[in-house]
Amino acid sequence: MATVGIIANPASGKDIRRLVAYGSVFDNQEKVNIVRRVLLGLEAASVDEVIFMPDYFGIGPRAVDGARLSMQTSILDMPLRATQEDSTQAAALMREMGVGCIVTIGGDGTNRAVAKGCGEVCLMPISTGTNNVFPYMIEGTIAGLAAGVVAAGTFDSHRLARRTKRLEVKLDGHLIDIALVDAVVYADLFVASRAIWDMSKVKEIILTRAEPDNIGLSSVGGNLYCARFNRHHGVYIRLGEGPLEVTAPIAPGLIGSVGIAGYRLLSIGDQVEVTHRPSLLALDGEREIEIGKDDEMSIQLSATGPLVVDVRRALQCAAKANLFTRLCGGGSMRTRCAMREANLCLAPLDSCLARPQARDAKHEGRE
Amino acid sequence: MSAQEKELTNEQLLEMYRKMLLVRTFEEKCAAEFAKGVMPGFVHLSVGQEAIAVGTVYGLRKDDFISATHRGHGCLIVKGMPMRKMFAEMLGRKTGACGGKGCSFHMGNLSLGIYEINGILGSSTPIATGSALAMKKAGTEQVHLAYFGDGQSNLGSIHEGMNFAAIHKLPIVYICENNLYGISMRQTDATAIEDIADRATAYGFPGVAVDGNDVIAVYEVSQEAVKRARKGNGPTLIECKTYRWRGHFEGDPTVYRSEKEVEEWKKKCPIKRLKERLMGLGILTEEMSDRIIKEVEQEVEEAYQQAWNDPMPAPEDALILGFAR
Amino acid sequence: MRELTFMEAIREALREELKRDEKVYLLGEDIGKFGGCFGVTKGLWEEFGSERVMDTPISEAAIVGTSVGAAIMGWRPVPEVMFADFLTVCFDQLYNQAPKLKYMSNGEMKIPLTIRTACGAGIRAGAQHSQSPEALCVHCPGLKVVYPGTAYDAYGLLKAAIRDDDPVIVFEHKLLYFISGKEQLPDDEFTIPLGKANVKREGKDVTVVAYGLMLSRALGAAEKLQGDGISVEVVDPRTLSPLDKETIINSLKKTHRAVIVHEAPKTGGYGGELAAILAEEAFDYLDAPIGRVAAPDTPIPFSPPMEDFYLPNEERIVQGVRKVLGT
Repeated sequence: MATVGIIANPASGKDIRRLVAYGSVFDNQEKVNIVRRVLLGLEAASVDEVIFMPDYFGIGPRAVDGARLSMQTSILDMPLRATQEDSTQAAALMREMGVGCIVTIGGDGTNRAVAKGCGEVCLMPISTGTNNVFPYMIEGTIAGLAAGVVAAGTFDSHRLARRTKRLEVKLDGHLIDIALVDAVVYADLFVASRAIWDMSKVKEIILTRAEPDNIGLSSVGGNLYCARFNRHHGVYIRLGEGPLEVTAPIAPGLIGSVGIAGYRLLSIGDQVEVTHRPSLLALDGEREIEIGKDDEMSIQLSATGPLVVDVRRALQCAAKANLFTRLCGGGSMRTRCAMREANLCLAPLDSCLARPQARDAKHEGRE
Repeated sequence: MSAQEKELTNEQLLEMYRKMLLVRTFEEKCAAEFAKGVMPGFVHLSVGQEAIAVGTVYGLRKDDFISATHRGHGCLIVKGMPMRKMFAEMLGRKTGACGGKGCSFHMGNLSLGIYEINGILGSSTPIATGSALAMKKAGTEQVHLAYFGDGQSNLGSIHEGMNFAAIHKLPIVYICENNLYGISMRQTDATAIEDIADRATAYGFPGVAVDGNDVIAVYEVSQEAVKRARKGNGPTLIECKTYRWRGHFEGDPTVYRSEKEVEEWKKKCPIKRLKERLMGLGILTEEMSDRIIKEVEQEVEEAYQQAWNDPMPAPEDALILGFAR
Repeated sequence: MRELTFMEAIREALREELKRDEKVYLLGEDIGKFGGCFGVTKGLWEEFGSERVMDTPISEAAIVGTSVGAAIMGWRPVPEVMFADFLTVCFDQLYNQAPKLKYMSNGEMKIPLTIRTACGAGIRAGAQHSQSPEALCVHCPGLKVVYPGTAYDAYGLLKAAIRDDDPVIVFEHKLLYFISGKEQLPDDEFTIPLGKANVKREGKDVTVVAYGLMLSRALGAAEKLQGDGISVEVVDPRTLSPLDKETIINSLKKTHRAVIVHEAPKTGGYGGELAAILAEEAFDYLDAPIGRVAAPDTPIPFSPPMEDFYLPNEERIVQGVRKVLGT
């Protein structure tokens, strides 16, 4: 029985970055549409049951309302606080229920909350937030198909997913929070509207990924090092007066230049102490933690981030295994090449029959 | 790079704290006097929503304008309306903000940048939009803040005003105080969308949802919107999520919501939140806070006593300024 | 002297006021490049540009509402509501807002606003584009109501309205746009004070009070009755609120008989108010019951024979006068 959880954040995509940058706008009706497309993908991938996190807008029920589905859908029985803790709790409950995959609809912030609860369950993150590095800009239908393939359990889920890194925020040595992409020491006193856009207040940046093609602070690091998220490194940057200046896409539509006072590569297990105090710690783009004058705060790079579905690999595996291909006349496939099985292969007959190995490889797109 | 133009100083933070307390104390006084039966008419209180009044109005220029809602005492106080004039109006005195001709929800003062509060829901939106048109024509870089509630948001005139402002890129900031209820109807029963901020997209300007009980968050967002308006970049819609602790009007039995819900929201008191943070930062101490509260209580009490002793208008004053002939 | 039609006189008044005072601006649906639904504002957009002659979306509450807001800030907007029937979709601004704010603010707010609107039947426009809703406006203290019947009056009253510090609504009968002949107006500009009636024709046997389109029909009826030896005095109040009672009562004192003519339906019409004033304040001068000639209490029909039947005409006015005179 294949079960998938869906966590859609109704609050993402409407914060102050619509004003201070050009953050994309996702109204909740569009999130409903996305979830509906996900559901149709999941059903096509033979998922039996979908469980929704409850939310104040009712994204799940609204999506179900418009789609004709044969699979079971239900909503988690949990109190609604309309805070990010909802996502964390929902992920934990879904994990306990044994879902095969969790589809998230939100931004980096949403996934960070989910990652706190999902354990080893694979995530299929769809971007609807603002500064999105972790989730994919992906069509919901495709995400649904990929999540369904993972949840179906036909393949070892670790083969279809990638392990990500995370940053562990520790106060006096105790883990108090995590980040999936970046942790930023921000010289301000109030969490307030959460977003960060004033680069003059950014003092230190710790990155799990340094990628020049990402939106947000990850790109600053990406111009210094290139530590792809599947490699075992992160980057630490101290901003300020220095011999270097980097121009990078800080937020959607907001290109900024920052002075670099110093930077270094981080290996798994490396730890950075926060020295600028009092200040705020922003995690994955949002001001989160107030750092007191005497707080001993440290941030450690860890290799224990959540598993994320590799959409291309998942759907290629599904294709290879003919999950979405069948013989119209009935009967089971004897080979992995559907074209050959259905006598549709237009490859020269001699080459095809003479070298079956090569032909199979060709049709599987492996050459 | 859009750096914030002005950082709030410790003094300003304390002033914001004080103003929130002033609004709270003023309105609690209104509630107490209304309950005694000495305050005629209808009184709509914004207890629990003080962060919106302070966060949006604090930081405005003196020549900027506001059009507050019927629950707008807080906005008026922060914009500089003397409390004595407000109390006097609410007590029907000749010295009142409107000489006794208005009432709690018609008070205004143009020289302070306060449009008359409108009693017809939705209708102040086109009027405020016209004010913004005048500002644009005059090229004064003034900004108009136009408030409405979640209940009002479904009125046609709001749509007409916003569309008009969008066409002409007017210097106006629309502020939706979403306190979850339009009298008895829950917002989720009144609109099929959750976030009224979403509507801005349909008009072609930005919409931002913000925690309306976090005064600094409201301040940050409204300052950005005001800056945008002043620069000639057009309107913004800000939706402040909040909750009114008291009834729609004084005397409302509030049978439409649970005591538990009210208690949950009281835990999110905007004044308590700012106080705790300021204390955490060492800007405020318990003693300082107590002193501010005492000062504020005294200020409110004095304003009320003065208003109370002010004269009533003569009955025939009713004919002045009318069309009586 | 200049020769102008009703429509041209209004256009000239607008042009002169736009020139005279930079705080004056026009706004409305299709009043710019298109020149207005009836062509009243033709040429003004070309002359003054889109800042002063603003095209608006179809959005009456915004047209009148933003005008109220700009008026508070010291501008003198002249919004056009294309058909008087559409006043109902901005009635809140017309009724609850503009006329109330000065009073509610204890005099702090001034609303120098002039709403122009095309009213009246006779162009086969049906029940929702032909009404004459002046009585609704007269019932609202704080709102001045002007309803001219000649090019001369339209010009002078509109200019006075624009310069007035209170909200004024000017009803322009749309049939007059098209059927009024040229009138002689002085070359020098002039205004006609609001609240001043005008005796359009002197007579001694009966006073006929008429305004708007009905003025010309009353004058026509008076001409016919003259042939029968009946001397009719025709008084045009011109401004319905505030009303110049004195001129009307003085006329009644002379003739001792009164007939009131308007094209709006009789019940609840302005004629009832005029009759009540005469009965209340000049009862002793009356030698006969006051007569009223008005439209029947029905919506306005479309088909020409029915619409022509609906509108009071010279013949009905003649009958109304004869009834009062008992002849």
